[in-house]
Amino acid sequence: MAQTNLPAASQTATASTGFANRKTWNKVKAAIEGYLYVAPTLIGLAIFVFIPIFTSFQLSLNRIAPFGNQTRYVGLGNYITLFNDPDYWNSVRVTLLFVLGTVPTGLFLAVTLAILLSYPTRHLTWLHRLLIFVPVVISSAVAGVLFKWLYHPVVGYLNYWMVQIGLFDSMQDAPNWLASKSWALVAVIIATTWRQLGFNVIIALAGVQNIDNTLYDAAKVDGANTWQRIRHITLPLLSPTLFFLLLINVIYSFQTFGEIHVLTEGGPGQATMTMVYSIFFDAFVGTPQRGIASAQAYLLALMVIIMSYLQFSTVNKRVHYQ
Amino acid sequence: MTAKILPAKKTEPITATDLLVQVSLISIGIVISMPIFIAFFTSFKVPEHVIDFPPHLFPNEWTIESYRLAWQATPFGRYLFNSLVQSGVITLGQVIFSILAAYAFSILNFPGRNWLFYLILGSLMVPFELVFIPNFQLVSSLGWANTYTGLTIPFLASAFGVFMLRQFFLTIPLELHDAAEIDGAGNWRYLWQILVPLSKGSIGAFAIFSFLNAWNQYLWPLIITKSVEMRTLQIGIRFFMSNLERGADWGPVMAGSMIALAPALFVFLVAQKQLVKGIAMTGLKG
Repeated sequence: MAQTNLPAASQTATASTGFANRKTWNKVKAAIEGYLYVAPTLIGLAIFVFIPIFTSFQLSLNRIAPFGNQTRYVGLGNYITLFNDPDYWNSVRVTLLFVLGTVPTGLFLAVTLAILLSYPTRHLTWLHRLLIFVPVVISSAVAGVLFKWLYHPVVGYLNYWMVQIGLFDSMQDAPNWLASKSWALVAVIIATTWRQLGFNVIIALAGVQNIDNTLYDAAKVDGANTWQRIRHITLPLLSPTLFFLLLINVIYSFQTFGEIHVLTEGGPGQATMTMVYSIFFDAFVGTPQRGIASAQAYLLALMVIIMSYLQFSTVNKRVHYQ
Repeated sequence: MTAKILPAKKTEPITATDLLVQVSLISIGIVISMPIFIAFFTSFKVPEHVIDFPPHLFPNEWTIESYRLAWQATPFGRYLFNSLVQSGVITLGQVIFSILAAYAFSILNFPGRNWLFYLILGSLMVPFELVFIPNFQLVSSLGWANTYTGLTIPFLASAFGVFMLRQFFLTIPLELHDAAEIDGAGNWRYLWQILVPLSKGSIGAFAIFSFLNAWNQYLWPLIITKSVEMRTLQIGIRFFMSNLERGADWGPVMAGSMIALAPALFVFLVAQKQLVKGIAMTGLKG
């Protein structure tokens, strides 16, 4: 009797007092389940993104003595060294020139092509898109290799065709793209702009296609010609997309690495030594100077993060607009 | 061509502007893809004639000799295998991890959910240049430099994937989840047996992004691979080029680029629509 009573009593006891407990238990269980689902992503990002942000800063405050593994705390010493180093300012200058070379050209081409592509042709649309979008899947390494071949000083197609159309008198007069201090950066800019173009046109085209067609019809009725419609309808309404493209292109340009590593390795001299390339160079070429490299990385990241923040705060506007 | 144009003529005549746009789009398209065409034709020329002057676009004689030479001169087969392993593992990891996290962020309730989601989104703003030196040191100190683990492990989590898949999961009615719960299916079963099959399109689109980005990676494989045998195609082709430059063996180099390009081009041809839609929607390349 007593044996059968006891479990029954304890069962009712848990049932009456445990109702609230079970609710909290379910809540705890659900929370644990949620954390387990996000854990792989969160742990991955913590180890390889969030923690390194701090490690990187710490690295930037230390200097490794040459010919030894001794690290020495130097505070902001690396940053001060950089600010006094003409090579650092050269990398800033090259980066800004690179951004100025790639971004406006890229945006201009993207918008022009997007307007052309949005023209309702009905025929061969797939072919236009295929041919114009295709750089979007090209890697920076392959883009670099393809352009290195185009830039070949003796038998390169680019110079040959430029001579053919009369831009230069002979192959000798045409630029020796990658070996010339004044042309190397232009060469890298062309290759990078080309690779970015597919992406830019896709975004610009989406923006153009989102514009309400009735606006054009109304303008037509009012007698506006094609150029006036582009000037007064397409471009103003495209401005959120353009702003977005501007920011993301600046971010990408700041971070371009592959093309430079394949085409010029920062040279000739330091003509194409951008900030990213200089970070890589200091951290991994010759005697690694990871402290100085990290300080440069921090300064670069600061610029990129400001840009990214602006981009994220505008991406919502862009989406709402669609 | 004519067969296609004629029926359209009935509804709307072809105007001069139509023709002009058509011609200019095709010509611009050809100019833009020209570097790829040049590489393609160069790779099929007789290697000795690759550096003929004046350069001609089409091969006089088509041959796969350059591919054979490239394959002999450098372990391209091995590079291809490495790239496939590296991209495959990264894609698989990103897809699975992102599905799990996106599910939690769209359907499950737990304290700190929004905060954690914004934290993950915030990681998209962190430029790779800021973290690659510490990551290199960490991976090296764990003995993973020059291994597949080292090539892939830093990229298994993808904030972009979480963001993209969450957006899609949110469009699926919550009633479906409740119904499954009443039928006794827990979250795990609901996710894999109902939600994932329903989201095949979006997951596929994300997998394409993930694969392309992994396949095209450059900086990390460059620093983390030490031996020739561990290089990915992108790194392999670069060193193949710089080693042979003086020999002007551009035929094999172009053949190598075509090999490195082919899988990405194939994905583009098959999945152009999803790819373009994904880029236009998210504004990101992944």
